[in-house]
Amino acid sequence: MDMNKAMRSIAGLAALIGLLFLAETFLRGYYLRLVILFGVTSIVALGVTVINGYTNIFSLGFGGPMMAAGYASALLTLPPAYKSAVLHLPLWLEQMQVSFPVAMLCGGIFAMLSSVVLLLPAFRLRGQYFILASMGVTIVTGNLAENFRSFTHGDMGLRSIPAFTNIWWTYGILVAVIYCIHRLMESKYGRALAAISRDPELAGVMGIDIARYTMLSFAVGSFITGVGAVLWVHLVLTMNPKAFNLVYVFQIVAMLAIGGIGTISGALVGAGVLTFGAELLAPVQEGFTVMGLRIPPVFGLVNVLMAILLVLIMIYKPRGIMNGRELRMCRRKKGDP
Amino acid sequence: MSAHYLAQQLINALSHGSILALLAIGYTMIYGILGLINFAHGEIFMIGAFACFGAVEFLEMSFPAGVFAAIAGSVLAGLLIERFVYRPCLKRKPEALTVFIASFGASLGLRNLFTMLFGDGRRPFPSAGFLEGIIVTESGLTVNVKDLWIFGVTVILVVGVSVFVKHTKAGIAMRAVAYDANAARLVGINGATAVLTAFLLASILAGVSAVAYGVSYGIVTPSMGYQIGLDAFIAAVLGGIGNVPGAAVAGYIIGLGEILFVALLPPGYSAARPTFVWALLFLILFLKPSGLFRPDMKNR
Repeated sequence: MDMNKAMRSIAGLAALIGLLFLAETFLRGYYLRLVILFGVTSIVALGVTVINGYTNIFSLGFGGPMMAAGYASALLTLPPAYKSAVLHLPLWLEQMQVSFPVAMLCGGIFAMLSSVVLLLPAFRLRGQYFILASMGVTIVTGNLAENFRSFTHGDMGLRSIPAFTNIWWTYGILVAVIYCIHRLMESKYGRALAAISRDPELAGVMGIDIARYTMLSFAVGSFITGVGAVLWVHLVLTMNPKAFNLVYVFQIVAMLAIGGIGTISGALVGAGVLTFGAELLAPVQEGFTVMGLRIPPVFGLVNVLMAILLVLIMIYKPRGIMNGRELRMCRRKKGDP
Repeated sequence: MSAHYLAQQLINALSHGSILALLAIGYTMIYGILGLINFAHGEIFMIGAFACFGAVEFLEMSFPAGVFAAIAGSVLAGLLIERFVYRPCLKRKPEALTVFIASFGASLGLRNLFTMLFGDGRRPFPSAGFLEGIIVTESGLTVNVKDLWIFGVTVILVVGVSVFVKHTKAGIAMRAVAYDANAARLVGINGATAVLTAFLLASILAGVSAVAYGVSYGIVTPSMGYQIGLDAFIAAVLGGIGNVPGAAVAGYIIGLGEILFVALLPPGYSAARPTFVWALLFLILFLKPSGLFRPDMKNR
């Protein structure tokens, strides 16, 4: 049984590597970028799943830590000449230029620390007050980034960030993240989180330290979203205060809601629907001919259609497309949870 | 800084505070009764402004008729959102997150729809002769006539709605449903009617607020409801969710706070206004976690 499982995993990985290789060989420019963007978005969505899906709190504050990670990585990798021309940084930061993995690690740790620092006071609050406060963290971070011009270049944003993100980095990290979350959820830690999300009071009575586990899952989730933010920055190659604003945060939350919150598959399906859905609908707004009838181009139609889709899914599939299920490579034995 | 300067800023804050107060009442009533942050409220507000703009500019109605067009537009938008988004969504007794996302989807959809139809540009908002003019008091304070109108209408509406919610049968039914929907149903209160009443009142106030915004700032844009909607929601939370007069007072506090923040600090800081509003919120929530005034609903 175990041998079989390991074989399947290896076969799955080999198939994925083959697919990625094909994608890199045959997809060019825009489409390759779309595939990478899907991977990056999935990583962020998975991080947010760890924050929001496995605990009984709901945070819209992850835009703030992502912003911190994005700027940290951009500042650490930009060439010193650009930094001295555009920004007013302390000399050590201006001279510093590190490699991509180091920048990514720094971004993740930065996101983790800022998330804990920013949201620790908010744990005093409950329910809608926590949602509101966490929303505030995202808005305030963006606003601060607009105003600390010497570090962020304000609204103009940072440009010519080195392009490090490629398909291998992205999907390598995605697979690692999926594996880690999977292992984590099967561990004692994951069981404790599951207990907390089902019934916090009962979990507390059973001796589970709710605050500690919530904090841990916040830290882990923020680290993952931070790494996602770093990948995003080195894919898009610009960083500005609006990069991870409330609209971005809502998009990620909408992905989780569409896919089904609290599962790995849900995050991936949601990220796929929103990333590729907008792309599939794009021809609609450019105008087309139906039975001799010329439909004129209507720009902005895709956004409206995506919003309608979102509302419809919330009405007819309130628990998301995956409905709390997890896709598995091998079917579980009867009686397994 | 003189007392004169402060008094002048206080007067300048009248209309901004009124706009926030009227919107905050809408947020607080709908949150109170459905337990739902109605993100589309800012868009109900925006649609009211567009209805007034369209009625006066294209149908060549008079300005007072335009005010009624704004109210009609907002009410139509509010009731349609209730009927086609929230009612089917809530019927399935979903998790809070689901309704939250649906509400966000409705907001985004309407904003994008109006951007698609009318473009993202600013349009001039109509005005009327009786709103123009400036009064200069003996002590040298200048008061815009339109600000006085906005403030007067707001005070009348706030008092009216407070009395309605507190003393009429429909208002008491609404508060009963907000407090405990099941118990209210047991004593024969129609929950659906109560929800409709809340949406109707909230939308009427949003329509008036939209006209106030248009008159005060002179422009209409499809995204006008976003920032001000967030500020108004903060006011609703500060005022104690479900508490109508509390929301109005908190609206004025935030409006005044924003104006003073911009007026008292050097111009370089005025872009940090959102940070200031949120800092104010954090401070008050930290000291009084349930808002400034008593929430008029069960603790959710």
